[in-house]
This record gives sequence, C-alpha cells and structure tokens, in this order.
Amino acid sequence: MVVAFDKCETRPASIDAILEGLDRYNPETTTVFQDYVAQQCEDRTFDCYANLALLKLYQFNPHLIHPETVTNVLVKALTVFPSPAFSLCLALLPPHTQPFPANAEAQASSQISDFVESVQKLARLSTLLESAQYAQFWSTLNSDDLYADLVADVAGFEELVRIRIAVEVGKAFRQISAEVLEQWLDLRSREALEKFVVEVCSWEIEKNGPNGTVIKVPTNKENEVRSEVKSERVDIDMFGRVLRRGFEQAA
Amino acid sequence: MSYEERANARPNLNDESDVEEEALVNDYREQVNFDDGMSELDRTTSLGGASQTQDLQAQLAAAATPLEYQATLETKFASYDNYCSLFHYILNSDGPVELEVPSYYWAWDVIDEFIYQFESFCRYRNRVARSGSNEEEAQLLRENPNTWGCYSVLNVLYSLIQRSQINEQLAAMKRGEDPLTVAGEYGSRPLYKMLGYFSIIGLLRVHCLLGDFSLALKTLDDIEMNKKAMFARVMAAHFTTYYYVGFSYMMMRRYGDAIRMFSHILVYVSRTKNFQKGGNSYDAIAKKNDQMYALIAICVALHPTRLDDTIHSALREKYGEQLNRLQHGGPEALPLFEELFRSACPKFISPTPPDFDNPSINVDPVDHHAAIFMDEVKNTLYNPTIRSYLKLYTTMDLKKLAGFLEVEPEKLRSWLLINKQRSRQVRWVEGALLEGEPVNANDLDYALDKDLIHVSETKAGRRLVDWYLRNLARVY
Repeated sequence: MVVAFDKCETRPASIDAILEGLDRYNPETTTVFQDYVAQQCEDRTFDCYANLALLKLYQFNPHLIHPETVTNVLVKALTVFPSPAFSLCLALLPPHTQPFPANAEAQASSQISDFVESVQKLARLSTLLESAQYAQFWSTLNSDDLYADLVADVAGFEELVRIRIAVEVGKAFRQISAEVLEQWLDLRSREALEKFVVEVCSWEIEKNGPNGTVIKVPTNKENEVRSEVKSERVDIDMFGRVLRRGFEQAA
Repeated sequence: MSYEERANARPNLNDESDVEEEALVNDYREQVNFDDGMSELDRTTSLGGASQTQDLQAQLAAAATPLEYQATLETKFASYDNYCSLFHYILNSDGPVELEVPSYYWAWDVIDEFIYQFESFCRYRNRVARSGSNEEEAQLLRENPNTWGCYSVLNVLYSLIQRSQINEQLAAMKRGEDPLTVAGEYGSRPLYKMLGYFSIIGLLRVHCLLGDFSLALKTLDDIEMNKKAMFARVMAAHFTTYYYVGFSYMMMRRYGDAIRMFSHILVYVSRTKNFQKGGNSYDAIAKKNDQMYALIAICVALHPTRLDDTIHSALREKYGEQLNRLQHGGPEALPLFEELFRSACPKFISPTPPDFDNPSINVDPVDHHAAIFMDEVKNTLYNPTIRSYLKLYTTMDLKKLAGFLEVEPEKLRSWLLINKQRSRQVRWVEGALLEGEPVNANDLDYALDKDLIHVSETKAGRRLVDWYLRNLARVY
C-alpha cells in the first residue's frame, strides 16, 4: 500500500491545513512553503504535493519566484526517481525556462538567465536518472561546479540518489558484478562499495568468483520473477444483464 | 429585486471576510472603470430598473452563448464584464437570488463557456505577445492585466462551490445521507447546486489547462466517477470530465487509469451515438472523441494492455497504421508521438500576462508541456523492442541480446531497468482518484543474474465466464 499522491506522512498539520483550504492560493503562504522546502532539504523528507502548491503560487505570482527554492524543489524531486514528480514540477514552471531546449546550440548562443540554465541542467540530470544511465549521471554531476552549487542545499543528495539506484538494482538483479555497480553508484574504491552494499543495502558479497567480485541481492518480490497464470475475476455484476433479461422474459 | 436594492447590496460586499471574493470585487471595479469609456456597450448595470428583468434574461442567455469566432478584444473584455457582474449578482446579493434560467443545461453551459473564454483569451494574449505584430492590441492587453485573470476565474469557481456547499452535499450523499441537511440556504436551490457542481468540473479543467494535474484530480475528491454521477446527465459535462481526468492520469504516468477513463466514456458515446447526431454539440463531441482515441493510442503504446473490443476495433479503424508505428517504438516513432499528443492535448494556458516587450521569451505553453511529455517518451522508446525480444526466451545472455540489438551491453542494461521500472504503475482500486496501488502492469517480467536474463510470463487464464456471457448476450 502506498500513500495517496496528495498525502505525506511527514507533513505537519499546519501545512496540511493550508493545502486543504483556499490559503494555498494566498501569496502570503509562499514563505511558509519555502520554509517547508528548506526543512525537507534538511531532514531528507520529500512532499511532492506541497511543493507543487508552492510552484503553483509562483506560477500565479511570478514576481515571488525564489530561484533557489525552485531549484531545491527540483533537486528534491530528482531524489525520488523513477517517478513523475520531476515532470510534474516542470509543468508548473514558466514555459520560457524550456527545460528541454530543442536546439542546444541556439540556446547557448542566446542569452539565458542563470535560473533558466539551472532548470535546464537539472532537467538533464533527470533525463539521465529516468533513463537509467547512472554512470553518465554521476559523470555529468561531477563535470561542472554549477551542479555542486545546485545540490548543495539538499542534505545527503548523493547518498539519497545512491540509495534510490540501489533500490532499483535490487528490484531487477539477483546478482550483479561489482564493476557495473561501482560505476552506477559512483563508488570508485572497492572498500567504499563493499561498505555501502553491506551496511546500507544488507546485500552479500562473493569475492574471487570466476567473474571477479559479485554482489548477491537476496530474493525479494520484484526479483524472484515467477510465472503465473492469472485466472479470470468473476463477480456478480457481470451477470446483471442476464439476470435482468430473465425477469423481463417472465413478465 | 430593484436596481436600488442591487446598488445598495454592493457596498455590503466589503463586509465579506473572504479574501478571494474581495479580490473579485476589486477586479470587477477595475473593469467597470475601464468600461466607462465604452458607452456603446450594452451594460446591465448602467441601465434603469424598468428593463432590469428582461435584461437579466439577456445576460443569462449571453453567458451561456459562445462568442463569435472573430470577436474583437473589446467584445472579449465586455464578455468578461458580463460574467463578473452576473456572478456577482448570483453570489453576493442579499440571500440567494431567484432566477429563471433559460434551460436545464444552463448551469453547465455557463461554466463551460466561462472557462472556454478564459482559455481562449489567455491563448490569444500569449499569441499577440509572441508575434509582436499588433501593437495596438498589445497595448490594450498590457493596460488590462487583470482582465480574465487567473485569480478572478478561480475565485468565481471556488465561490460557487463554497456558496452551494456542494462538496459537503456530495460527501453526505456518499455516506448515504440526505444532502439537504448540509446544503444550506443556497445549496438547496437547484440553480446554486448545479452551478456549484459544474464549477468542480470547471476547476478540474482549469487546473489541467494550467498544468497542475495532481490538483486537477484532487478536485474531484467528492465526486464518484460512475454513470449515476450528476455530470452524467449532461452529455458534454460527462465527456469533459472523463477527458480531463484521463489526461491528468496520463500526465501522472498512470496510463492504465487513463485508458480506463477514456475507454469508459468512449464506449458510452459509441452506444449513444445515434441520439447525439444532429445535436449542436455533436461536432465538438466528435472532435474530442477523436482526440481521446489518439490519447488511448499513446497510452497503449506506452503501456500495452488489453482494450475493450469496441475501443480496439474503433482504434484500429481510426489510427490503425499510426498505432502500429507507436507500438513498434524506436526513434522513428518520436515525431508521431508528438504529433498525436499535440493534436489531442488540452489547449494549455499560461495564467499570467506575457512579456510584451520580449516576444521571443513567450513560449507557447503547449510546446512546454509537449517537451516535458516527450522527454518521458524518449526515455522509454526502447521498451517495445525489449519486450518483443524477451517474449521469445526464458533465459537469455545479456551480451548475446546486445549483439542482436547492436547496442552496447551497458546500454541494454539501462533499457532493461527502464522497462522494468515502467511496468510498475500505480493503479486506482478504490477511494479518491489520487489513491492507488502499485501493480506490475506488464505480463512479462524478468530478473538479471549477473548477465543472464531470466524471463517469466504471466499468462491470462481463459476467460470462460466472459466468453459465455458475451455469447449469451448475442442470442438471449
């Protein structure tokens, strides 16, 4: 059971009250939401629905846009991939941010603001994560100091992404070679990789196999992969027409 | 109610504690001032008491009537004015007003037309700014940033909802109680109830046009999506609701739910088609009909699923060749995805006035949303390829498959992860529209053991009951 999209377990009651009422449109609540984003960055929680409410306030009141908060919301949305969270955030940004510029060269030559550049850079990261190109994600992230600035406010950003990647790996793999995993997690030293795999993921390491070191992922619901035959679901509603017809005939 | 009474009633508006309504009042005042310069416009408020009733009738009728296609900017401003004064009269008179509305569908028509004009005004304003050619109109728009403002449009809708206590009424109905106990003075009257109800549908549409898809679905919390719902009594409302709910689901990547919504309404329409022919809304419905088939084609390509037989054959008929190309995937399918998306998506709007001084930075909101959607399509472009190959094997070596596909093993690993991730989807089971359970939406599943892919397929058992019932229906 997952929590419905509009709910969040870590959301304070005060924020909930704003979201439920018309105060979510009140420009004065912008600061409340901004503080809430800052808090999410700090304590590593994520509340997509509340952050979208803030982006909506910005959408209605463009003069209130606080660029750092917007990019922090986007960076937070990166840490929950694969999910529609990042696209839903982009959808509320001003169209001129053009997160996915059609023509990169034309963009580069024309003057774009720092804000637009940041949004485009983060969109690029999102694409890499959503398309499971984890090694490229890390190399892109490390290629430019601007990225370091963008993710600086989000506590444990790299750790959060690493855990997300590990979760996805755990769903698809029973065993994975250490060489692949260290690139995907950007843990270049073998000790760091082993530490992460054992301590954070509770997976096992099998050293000195015929194919080098291999990480074993314990069986879970997603990676066991069983064939099954789905049987037909039959409920009383399906017979409604036939039964009704029976009564009509009798009458 | 005489003109004097109405005039007296207006200062009372300032007592309204509701901030939203106050904003509406201010907006309205600005418009009245603006309008003073256009004496040729037929304005209710400037007329004497004698023609009041008759004039109100004209205003009611006008509110539900589409503007001419070539309406001038002045007409659009005046129409906004007309709505403001009408909604003011309905919402802020002393107590509920007694109105004889022209038709049963009036409440829907008014809300529908109100939002349509908001939508087309925003799009027109954006276009004027983008083209930068009509300096005169740009100036007029620049001077009136609050006309058809998003806040006033939302105010109207939310005020109608609050006045009629419609959400409370719907919640009571859901619990099996009598809605009249919570309806209050306003909500117990059909006019307010209907306006409130259709304002909820209106909000769904406005939020969707603004790109806030989760809030759009959240708006319908108290409405149950079934044929007994009130919107089902007005065909256009029924249709609109399912289109926007389906589209919002699609943008939240809940393709299974989107398909369910589109299929539901399309099956319904196909059954009632004969009644609709000749009706004046038939053309609009036929167009939306085609759009929804296009959206189903997109959703089915991104999320293969078994469709209802009626829908399946109609889809083959309308988009047969395109559907094949979409389902085949790969880079060649990209332009087609975009073309269909653009032809079938709502006409997205930007809620704030554009920058008239820099035409180039005003991007069409449709481009914005298409680009965001296309990014996801691009990310999942090779899912069909992966599926078609894996269907043939129970185990397969990754490097060997990479050789078949002529890609790097590293790339194939990514594709496998993507396909696996996208086959997990949230699907609605019960409760509000935003609720749902994660399910494996694909009958093909696999896991990697180092470089060995183990494939399993979930087979659907024979649907005997379904088969018997369908054949029984044919003869009995």
